Amino acid sequence: MTLEHYLILGAVLFCIGLLGALTRRNAVVVLFSIEIMLNAANLNFIAFWRFGENPAVLDGPLFTLFTIAVAAAEVAVGLALVIAVYRHFKTVDLEQLDTLKEK
Amino acid sequence: MTQEITFWVLAVIAVCGALLAVWRRNLIHGVFALMIFFAALAGLFLLLLAEFIAAVQILVYIGAVGVLLIFAIMLTERVTGDDGRRVTARGWLWGLAAAVAMFVFLLLPAIQKADLSQTTQPIKPSVEALGHQLMNPYVVTLEVLALLLTAALIGAVAVAQGAQEKEDEADDS
Repeated sequence: MTLEHYLILGAVLFCIGLLGALTRRNAVVVLFSIEIMLNAANLNFIAFWRFGENPAVLDGPLFTLFTIAVAAAEVAVGLALVIAVYRHFKTVDLEQLDTLKEK
Repeated sequence: MTQEITFWVLAVIAVCGALLAVWRRNLIHGVFALMIFFAALAGLFLLLLAEFIAAVQILVYIGAVGVLLIFAIMLTERVTGDDGRRVTARGWLWGLAAAVAMFVFLLLPAIQKADLSQTTQPIKPSVEALGHQLMNPYVVTLEVLALLLTAALIGAVAVAQGAQEKEDEADDS
């Protein structure tokens, strides 16, 4: 297994997440997709660390730990926002949330 | 050889899980596909000998984020989720084109052009060293993260509670 395999897998997963974030209408699925993209980035951090010249320096895993913590905070606030939006508009369909759009 | 087989199996599971999570009409099935994706990534982290990160991945993503997502779906959608509405946004083909173009023109050339090292150095289990690193050079980052998580907790409760209920409480008192 080379570093290239892991990087290509990370790129594929990132693009799947991007696809979901751009094409789905449900706000919760857009949150899933963002999580998929963050995980793809984490895979790259770990792969670069493992194949790096000095794996005794633990920058890769540390950065991944911090990303995971920030992602957990992000998903908690994101879901709270989704629930607040649902309470206000009675829907989480992103295409119907067009109050700011000029009619 | 075993490592290669493990890598390919986990890679296929991860890609299929991610695709199912993105494309399933039924949101609950989507969350379970997403959990399979998280588990496959934890396996890949183990394969890269980042055992602590793999454990954190399982604890935080499968344990916390997955359950949180299921709660959000149950609070907002009918659980079946399958009522014949359109799933994709208007202009979804543009989204597909953007994702494919991103992969083909931006990420793939970058990976192919880079001069990547092909060798791995032998490493020792890293949990103890990680703990020391978190306590010595990265202690400020750790504290800032703790503050961020507290702020996110309070913020999430405040946002989800909503303005209306607060007004009701004010009326009652």
